[in-house]
Amino acid sequence: MASALRFLVVDDFSTMRRIVRNLLKEIGYADSEEAEDGVVALQKLQGGQFDFVISDINMPNMNGFQLLGEIQKIDKLKRLPVLMVTAEARKEDIVLAAQKGAAGFIVKPFTKATLEDKLNLIMTKYGMKPAT
Amino acid sequence: MDSTAAASSAASESGLDIHHSIGALTRQLHDALQALGLTDKFRGLAGELPDAQDRLSYISRLTGEAAEKVLNRVDMAKADHDQVLTASQVLSQRLLAGGAGAPSTTELLSFLAGIEASTRQADAHLTEIMMAQDFHDLTGQVIAKVVRLAANMEEQLVQLLIQTAPADAPTKTPAPANNPAAPYEPALSGPTINPLGNPDVVSGQSEVDDLLASLGF
Repeated sequence: MASALRFLVVDDFSTMRRIVRNLLKEIGYADSEEAEDGVVALQKLQGGQFDFVISDINMPNMNGFQLLGEIQKIDKLKRLPVLMVTAEARKEDIVLAAQKGAAGFIVKPFTKATLEDKLNLIMTKYGMKPAT
Repeated sequence: MDSTAAASSAASESGLDIHHSIGALTRQLHDALQALGLTDKFRGLAGELPDAQDRLSYISRLTGEAAEKVLNRVDMAKADHDQVLTASQVLSQRLLAGGAGAPSTTELLSFLAGIEASTRQADAHLTEIMMAQDFHDLTGQVIAKVVRLAANMEEQLVQLLIQTAPADAPTKTPAPANNPAAPYEPALSGPTINPLGNPDVVSGQSEVDDLLASLGF
């Protein structure tokens, strides 16, 4: 069953934003918006209602770590689950993301099954209802 | 002119030739970077040159794999569609002919089930074709690094040109770019080109999951 949850997909590459949004739609999450960096993402998050963020790390203007930090500072956003989907494969980056409050970490290239698994895990942890 | 003076003159001309060659190479690189709008903006990247070949090989491999994956999926999808087309043509002819050769309800239901399965398969092929496009993101980050490396090489050549210029040679450093807008330089490491044997990076999602689990996340 399709879910009404609203996603924000943050990545500086438009190709990747399209891929992630299409995958979300296939999995059952049709409602998503996109942002090309952390600055735009933060503006959208503050101006609208979102249930889930999927973000790259390496981006201009404001990277994924900085976006995580900003989200943590804002009361109405700090409970928002943020899944990092990134090409950064250094262990220290993965640990840093977790320490900064990321709900999950997917390393590129990834598969639809990996994204679906991580979404289900995170949603269960956050008390949200995954699409079926 | 005595022999010592002649040798000295020849050496001086040879030095000038080398200097002019380096100058021409520097100018060529500078022009290429300027055409990309990337002059004079990259600093402090010495030592990355040996990595460039690996990065270019990585781009070649990733784009090759993506093309291969797309073509394989297209082949599979075309084969599926040929089967559906043939089956539907046969069924149509039998329906039109009517009589004893007309398809039974069971056959029609079986055909429809086949159509449904084929449609699902086509959707899976399309998803894989879409996923194959992720090379754009990964190679884009690597290309940005190689461009930065080329810009650094230009900088070093300029310095070499200045340092090796004969006393009587006019030297002129390349003019700064007309467009001062700074290009985006990824601050992080980006995709890992050679994860094998590197204990500081993960080579796949299972290693990410293991690492986070071991730390209690």
